[in-house]
Parts: sequence; C-alpha cells; structure tokens
Amino acid sequence: MVSLARKSLMREWPRYLPAILAICFAGVLLFMQAALVLGIFGSAAVYVTTSSSDLWVGYPGTQSVNLGRSINADVEYLLRMDGNITAVEPLQWVDADWRSPQTSGGVSVYVIGINPNQDGLVFDQVLDANVRQLLHEPGAVIVDRADLGQLGVETGNWALIDGKSVHVVATASGLRPLGGVNIISSLDTARQLTAGRDKTRATYWVAKLDDPKNADIVRKQLLSKPSFGSYEIWTASEFALRSQFYWMGDTGAGVAVLFMAAIVLLVGLVVASQALMAVVISSAREYATLNALGAGMAALRRVVLEQAAWIGSIGLVFSIGVSTLLLSIAHSRDIPVSITYQMILVWVGVVLGIALLSGLFAMRGLLRADPALLLR
Amino acid sequence: MNLQQQSGTAVPALSASGISKSFVSGLVRIQVLNHLSLNVMPAELTLIAGPSGCGKSTLLSILSGLQYSDGGKVVALGEDLTGASVSELEHFRLKHTGFVFQGFNLFTALTAIEQVELPLNYLGIGKREARERSIEALREVDMFHRANQFPAELSGGEKQRVAIARALAKKPQLLFADEPTSALDASSGSTVINLLHKIAREHQTTVLCVSHDPRLIQHADRVLAMEDGEIRRDWRTESDFDINEHLHATKGIH
Ligand SMILES: Nc1ncnc2c1ncn2[C@@H]1O[C@H](COP(=O)(O)OP(=O)(O)OP(=O)(O)O)[C@@H](O)[C@H]1O
Ligand SMILES: [Mg+2]
Repeated sequence: MVSLARKSLMREWPRYLPAILAICFAGVLLFMQAALVLGIFGSAAVYVTTSSSDLWVGYPGTQSVNLGRSINADVEYLLRMDGNITAVEPLQWVDADWRSPQTSGGVSVYVIGINPNQDGLVFDQVLDANVRQLLHEPGAVIVDRADLGQLGVETGNWALIDGKSVHVVATASGLRPLGGVNIISSLDTARQLTAGRDKTRATYWVAKLDDPKNADIVRKQLLSKPSFGSYEIWTASEFALRSQFYWMGDTGAGVAVLFMAAIVLLVGLVVASQALMAVVISSAREYATLNALGAGMAALRRVVLEQAAWIGSIGLVFSIGVSTLLLSIAHSRDIPVSITYQMILVWVGVVLGIALLSGLFAMRGLLRADPALLLR
Repeated sequence: MNLQQQSGTAVPALSASGISKSFVSGLVRIQVLNHLSLNVMPAELTLIAGPSGCGKSTLLSILSGLQYSDGGKVVALGEDLTGASVSELEHFRLKHTGFVFQGFNLFTALTAIEQVELPLNYLGIGKREARERSIEALREVDMFHRANQFPAELSGGEKQRVAIARALAKKPQLLFADEPTSALDASSGSTVINLLHKIAREHQTTVLCVSHDPRLIQHADRVLAMEDGEIRRDWRTESDFDINEHLHATKGIH
C-alpha cells in the first residue's frame, strides 16, 4: 500500500516542519512544566520520599511535614509493640537561625535531627552510612551542596545555629526542601541546639514495616489501640501527598500550574492545527485528484489523520530529545525537576492527543478539495 | 426508449439528455449548458471541441460524475448519475473512470510507479497485482524506464504519460481527458492523443476528450463541435459511419 501521508511527509518535510515544531514546543513546555511541578512540590516531601520509613506519626492535623509539632514520646512504645514493625526512630525538627562569617544577618533554616546510625531510616536514600556516621561528632551538620552559597560556608567550615557553633562535615544532594534550607544533624546535636527551649521532644516518630505493602492495615490496627496522647498516623505516601498538596494549595501554585497547562494545550492545539490546515489546503489539488480517482472523503480524512499521527510522533520524538537535554541541564544546576512513569505516560498521551485533535480540526481544509475544480 | 435502436450498432457508454448547468457569479447568472443531449459510443475516442469558455469542461465534469447538473439526466454504463449520492458517485468513479487533466495533477511526493499504484490500492487490489499492473501501464505509455522518477524530474509530456498510465492501470471503461495536450508542445501533444486513441481501440475504452486544440480533430473517431453550451455539429472522421443517423440519435432524445 502506497502511503500518501508518509511519502509526502518524507519527501516534503519542510512543509510539515511548522506543525512538527508546534507539537514539539507544546510537548517540551508541558514536559518541563510537569517535571518542575513534580520536582518543586515533590521536594515539599523530601523528608518522606528519601526515607525508608513506611509510617509517620506526628501531631494531629499536621498539614505538611514542615508544620510538625512535638508529640508525646510514649508513641514509641505503641509502635514497638506492633509485630509488623521492624524499626522505629524519632525525628527532631528545629526551626533555627543560621549565621556564618560570610552571611550578613541570619538565614532561617530547618535543623533535622536524625538517627546517625547505619540503620537510620530518615534520609537513608540520600545519605549513605559513611556520610551519616560523620554526624556522631557533636555539632556536626550536613547541608545540601546547592545551599552552600546561601549559607556562606564550605565543607569543613564552622558556623552558628542559634548562637551555638556547628561544623559542616559533609555535603549531599537531594536534601533541599521547598521554601527553606535543611541542615541535617544527629538527634543529640538537634537536642542540644534546642536546649532550654522546652522543645526537646521528637516532632515525628517513623517506623519501618517488614512488608511496606501492609502500611495501611498496620496504620488502622495502631489507631484502634488505646491511645498514648494525641497523635496522627500516616502512611509514607499519604503523608508525602498531603505535604505536596498543602504546598500547592497554600502557594496557589496548583491553580497556576493547571492554568498554565491549559494555556499551553490551547496554544499548542491552535498553532498545530493551523499549521496542519495550511498543509492540507496547499495540497488541496492532490486531495481533489485523489477524490476524482474515486477515493472517498472518508479516505481523504484518514490521510489527514495519518499525517497528524506521524507529525505527532515526530514532534514527540523531538520533544523527548529536547526535554532530556533540558532535564540534564536542570539536574546539573540543581534545579528541582523530577519525573515519574505515570507522568511520562500521561504526557505522551496528551502530546499525541494534541496532534490527533489538530488533525481533526485540519480536516476542514479538505472542503477546498473539490474535484470539479480540476476541470476548467 | 431503446438505445440499441438509436445508435444502430451499440449501446452508448454515456448518454446525456437535456442537461443544463448555470453558475451564479455576483448578480449575473451564466447559463453554461443549455438542454444539452449527446450519446458517446463505447471503444472510441470522442472529441468535444469548441472555443474557450463554451462549457466543455463543465460538460465533462457532469458526464464523469464530478459535478451534478441542474436538470436533465446522465446515464453512464447503464447507471443513472443524476440521482446518485456523493458517495455513490465516488464509488462509480473509483470503479469505472480514469482522468487525464490539463495540469497533470500528479502527486509531488510519489514516484511515477507509485502514482500509478495508489488508485489501485483504493480499489482493493493486492500489492503484487498492483505492482504488475503499474509496470504494464507504464510500459504501455513508454515510461517504465522512468518509473522511479518524481514529477519534478519529468518533462510535461512525460508527466502526462504517467498520468495516462495512472488512469489506464485501473482498467476503466470510461476515460475522461480535459485539454490533455494544451500544456504540451506539438510533438508531445500528438504522442499523448495517439496514446489515448490507441487505448480506446486496444482496451475497448470509451475515451471522451475535451479540447479547443483543432490539431486533435484528425486523431478522433468522432468530433462534437460545441458552442454556447450546445452541440452544434457532430461528425465522424472515418466515413464508415452514418453521420446523419447519428445526428438523429443525439437530437432525437429531447
Ligand atoms: N464553479 C464555477 N463558478 C462560476 N462560473 C463557472 C464555474 N465553472 C465554470 N464557470 C463558467 O462556466 C463557463 C464555462 O466554463 P468551462 O470551464 O466549462 O469552459 P471551457 O469550455 O472548458 O473553457 P476552456 O476551453 O477555456 O477550458 C465559463 O464562463 C466559466 O466562467
Ligand atoms: Mg476547460
């Protein structure tokens, strides 16, 4: 079967370039938007998503990880009594003020006190055991390398947190939260920083299960037991989503992002369908000839749709290339971007959808393909 | 009405009776065809000649099912085209007709052989047979040696021969040609009209050709002279046919 759509595209690709570029641009814009949203708002839950804990226990009604309050330490016993739970540890959250010789004035930071041992759960996916054990030194802290400039320090420097001196023993990456700076320390160091502030109790208790799939069941079991004061239990994914949605809602970014995506979709659709329509109209004589030879309108529409599908696929390939490049640039600059399989699947569907839809719109150009015009 | 009786020898492949067509341009209404009737006999080359603007192309497009007439009746190969729907006309064209245009209308992105194959694909002819038929058709118009050339690489006469092959490969019973030689020089033009004539005789195809070029008259089996939307004269170039009887046949339909 001779495919007129494919042959035309191959032979006369410059005519199709505007349509391909329109799809490509829309694709790249949507991709980067999605990657940035996932990256930025994903970092709102960086504590949860980079840790191996399956359950998080915190103050009732806590909307986002960074809004935690200290809870009763007796929760630890509740967790340790459950047979499904294999490890339990606290997390200490301290809002503090950072000063270094290089910073004028203070920088607001979150000090996160974690278990520095090899089996520590919190941040175990970004801090390996060698780096973690450096935190055993009193006053030792680890910061994200992308925050060094803002904190005015280099690895090995000393600085002050709430007037107490700390030592930057290492840097890591993937620690950056949304709207702040994370300073990682041991639980002991964190407690010393808050000494005299009556906030020495843990902010969260986290637990690891023998089988993470049971997280929801175990959570329900725990909630049915007599309570040790007031607390709330979330599964890790639940708590991560809760934090991300809180940030999207609180900053108004959720609506803004949807709005932007709608605009990109609309503009992409209009530009691509106009570009495709121009091609169809400029080929009106060929379509008319095909119709004169007996190919029905339905067959002509199929040719246009096939062209749209090809244009969509080529545009998609181009935008995958460009997006990959932009993604690697973003990574190298520590710009928060992140992608997931679901996101890529939805994105591919949306981009091909734009192409096919613009093909449907471009079919109006076939109205010019009147075979009687060929005889004059 | 018995067509067999009218023509004396055969059933006309195409017959139009009392067809009219007018176009409105601005405030004026132009009557292009005025109660026109004609019969076209099978397996011969019929030429409709006449001055520019007299309605030749309009007549051809109505007879070939590309356009509807305002009134009257068109019967092609025994099918009534006047009452047919758009998709029925498409189907009729696919099955039975080939076209050769003044402007060639080849597909710029296809090679000569692909041009010929494409309509066969729409006819549902298998890949191998389509290829064989295309080669045969290109051979017949002496264009096989340029089978892989694109239209941009062909001369006008070569393009028109490929267009004839495209029409021929479908093995149509009706072949319509609108000014097939107007864009060509004299020698390419005579090659093309000779080809059309040969197709009529060897494939028993009814070829209806429209032109204002008087040089083509000597190549036709029969000539219809058209003026102001009417057929004014009708004669045969070979004298083995009773012109008077034929004139009677075309006029007698009203
Ligand atoms: N779609 C249309 N709308 C308006 N007028 C038309 C249309 N088609 C044809 N006409 C008019 O009908 C008349 C006959 O046109 P047609 O194309 O049939 O002439 P022709 O005999 O083929 O002329 P030529 O030898 O120059 O090709 C012309 O005056 C033309 O302007
Ligand atoms: Mg004409």
